[in-house]
Amino acid sequence: MSSIRENFAPTKKYNTLAFALMAVGIISIIALYISTHGGTGNEEEKKLQDARFWASLMQNSVFFLLIVNAAMFFICATTLAWGGWQLSFRRVTEAVSACVPVLGVIAAAILLSIAFGSNHTIYHWTDAEHVKHDAILDAKKGFLNKGFYTTVTLLTVILWSVLGWKMRQMSRKLDNEPLKTMEEKKKYIWNNTVWAAVYIVVFSLTIMSSLPWLWLMSIDAHWYSTMYSWYTFASSFVAGVALMTLFVVYLKNNGYLQYTNNEHLHDLGKFMFAFSIFWTYLWFSQFMLIWYANIPEETVYFKPRVEGAYSGIFWIMFLINFIAPLLILMSRDAKRNYTTITFMAVLIIFGHWLDFYQMVFPSISKNPPLMIADFGVALGFVGLILFLVGRTLSKYPLVPKNHPFIKESLIHHT
Amino acid sequence: MSLLRYESQVRPPIVDGNKDYHQVTEDICRPVETKPSKLWWVGFIISLGLLGFGFVSVTMEVIYGTGQWNLGKTIGWGWDITNFVWWVGIGHAGTLISAILLLFRQGWRTGVNRAAEAMTIFAVMCAGQFPIWHMGRVWNGFFVLPYPNTRGPLWVNFNSPLLWDVFAISTYFTVSLLFWYSGLLPDMATLRDRAKEKWRKAFYGVAAFGWTGSTKHWQRHEALSLVLAGLSTPLVLSVHTIVSFDFATSVIPGWHTTIFPPYFVAGAVFSGFAMVQTLLLITRKVLALEDYITIEHIEVMNKVIVLTGSIVGIAYLTELFMAWYSAVPGEQYAFFENRLNLNSPYGWSYWLMMGCNVLSPQIFWFRKMRRNLLVTFFMSILVNIGMWFERFVIIVTSLYRDYLPSSWSTYYTPTIWEIGFYLGTFGLFFTCYFLFSKYFPVIAIAEIKHILKKNGDNYKSQMDKVENESIEKFADDELHHGDHH
Repeated sequence: MSSIRENFAPTKKYNTLAFALMAVGIISIIALYISTHGGTGNEEEKKLQDARFWASLMQNSVFFLLIVNAAMFFICATTLAWGGWQLSFRRVTEAVSACVPVLGVIAAAILLSIAFGSNHTIYHWTDAEHVKHDAILDAKKGFLNKGFYTTVTLLTVILWSVLGWKMRQMSRKLDNEPLKTMEEKKKYIWNNTVWAAVYIVVFSLTIMSSLPWLWLMSIDAHWYSTMYSWYTFASSFVAGVALMTLFVVYLKNNGYLQYTNNEHLHDLGKFMFAFSIFWTYLWFSQFMLIWYANIPEETVYFKPRVEGAYSGIFWIMFLINFIAPLLILMSRDAKRNYTTITFMAVLIIFGHWLDFYQMVFPSISKNPPLMIADFGVALGFVGLILFLVGRTLSKYPLVPKNHPFIKESLIHHT
Repeated sequence: MSLLRYESQVRPPIVDGNKDYHQVTEDICRPVETKPSKLWWVGFIISLGLLGFGFVSVTMEVIYGTGQWNLGKTIGWGWDITNFVWWVGIGHAGTLISAILLLFRQGWRTGVNRAAEAMTIFAVMCAGQFPIWHMGRVWNGFFVLPYPNTRGPLWVNFNSPLLWDVFAISTYFTVSLLFWYSGLLPDMATLRDRAKEKWRKAFYGVAAFGWTGSTKHWQRHEALSLVLAGLSTPLVLSVHTIVSFDFATSVIPGWHTTIFPPYFVAGAVFSGFAMVQTLLLITRKVLALEDYITIEHIEVMNKVIVLTGSIVGIAYLTELFMAWYSAVPGEQYAFFENRLNLNSPYGWSYWLMMGCNVLSPQIFWFRKMRRNLLVTFFMSILVNIGMWFERFVIIVTSLYRDYLPSSWSTYYTPTIWEIGFYLGTFGLFFTCYFLFSKYFPVIAIAEIKHILKKNGDNYKSQMDKVENESIEKFADDELHHGDHH
């Protein structure tokens, strides 16, 4: 009888890489700070430079928070749908989602610093003096104000963390207390379903509505688009699936997750493919409708993105996020090939990182579009995620072997 | 031992009544092979009556023009386009069930897919009537097809979403029909082989396209299903997306909003499932198919209804919020005065929509409600009313007061011929459905057999031993393919 190789032990190489990347991140933040501060120029230019620095922190912290949180969405959506196939690598998704509290605190700290800081370049609406003379922003005061912003930000991070913890707790509890009777099993699935539903409701009210409006859309405070939040969700979810896939592939390559095989990888590939198309669908719908109606209040958003300094990023992002997955992930073999899947996962995460970049930057900084330090900051977050996921993975068994549906996952065929 | 079929005992069976393969065939073929009941005849004749009323209404419109309808100065689209969008929306559940749920490996779809797909096809047929007869000079209808012609500059307008509709809906109809019919082939062959009368053998013989049930046939059939599922999946999204473009590409307040495409798709699936519930609750009862369309099927579909209803709800609230947030007076007037204000001429229709589509489905958060047939039936009707009013609200409340108060329409009410046209499509829909339920197997026989050994109650009960063995033992048996045996 074969035994399960249950616990992940991060190799020295793994931890070194994680710490090295975090060091790169910290150095990049310092370098970015130095290069954007202390320059000569008038007050206005100095403010723009300072905003450039904060915008990078904001884009990275929000992006990486949303993609690790996408793992919990994946868990809850599959739980609600009574999925069984994903259980063989369920602990990987749990470990990714366990980054939410740490990244949530970092993102909240950065966002609140921006909202309460003295530089109002990113959030014009935080400048009371400016709002007085701006009739449109004045009309939005009931929503765009620091109090509401703080409340929603903190509440979101707390709720995501607590509900995510609850979902993981229920899963881990089974490791030591197996379910004996059918009644217990049914009750367990029922409880999971209820908590997953609660999470999905919170998720919908945050990321699929209010949160992206406050965090990101309010950078272009005059502009509005009803699609915006669903679009942000699609972007972060597909990148989140790519992130989970990377960890699954890494663990497989190192001899773990023996019950996970090409069939599961194939399905993850399908998710990456399908949600890349879904993202494109929302991208196209938002863009096309604004372009077609051609109302100046709305086209103002795409003007600096499609034309001007950011147009390169805009179209490269489109190429990476749509054309590449469409052509490369279409075939069955590609989705079952470790190398292709890894390559595509990295590409998709990078592509949606660029997507967030072009959501944040164009209305803050006219140029230059990208700096090396921006990539450095991103690598810092990657290092942090590596470290956190590695730590969580090593604490708990890799296979939730007492879950009522685990056997279905073992004999899964696509 | 290697198990080809296993699922957790936690999952309830979805084929009840201790069936074997033969019994499945018997049960599902029975309605086709016996004389229709009195109830069937009553329903069928009422449907034909409605169809006749529709025929008269359309004839009136063709002879006297769209002036027979109460369209006003600003309401160029009234009941007809409301009905069009409503029927197209209903036509979404079938393909979602057959295509997307196939890709998601949802076994329960086998109980309901045949009837839902048929419903889709009939609903799209009904939907198509409205834009066609709305043309007024319907004999020029072929002008919408782009082909080199002698009409000089009179070429279709490729920039118009209305033309995109022509392509979207005709593609959707074609692919749905192919999907539905290719799934029917094995069952048609079953009916042919069982037939005793000559005409029956001839009819089902032609309909079965020479299906023999050979391995090669099955192999091609499976491959075709997957390809058609892949083609249909984007179509489920594209059709209603393009219908939403009819509105959203404009600059009309209440129409021009970027969330329209996914929100229309969610709404379409929502109304489609409601209609599936309405039809199947009756069908399973009348044709005694409760063992195949079980309470589990009903419950799962109610879950889809509460999910899509809530997505639609979030979209409504997003629109409302953005109207306020945009600080655009026109948008705010359209939403807060023409819709939200209960005392405005059409305020009641907005609240009716909200009540039916957003509030009422929330009772499906409760398991007891999801499994209550009466509640489900009542709710399915309510949702269909609500979704009709959604389109009515979008169309009429955005149009009846345009930019010039001098051209504001008076209160729009349909004429008898507008109502007759709508009722006529019900006639068409139910006539088709009654014929379908008499001459076609309403459940996919072959597909039920496919899942029987995994999901049938009798087979499931044999798997207790597997359920209770340790995962290590199970993995040894299954993953090493009988090394120890």
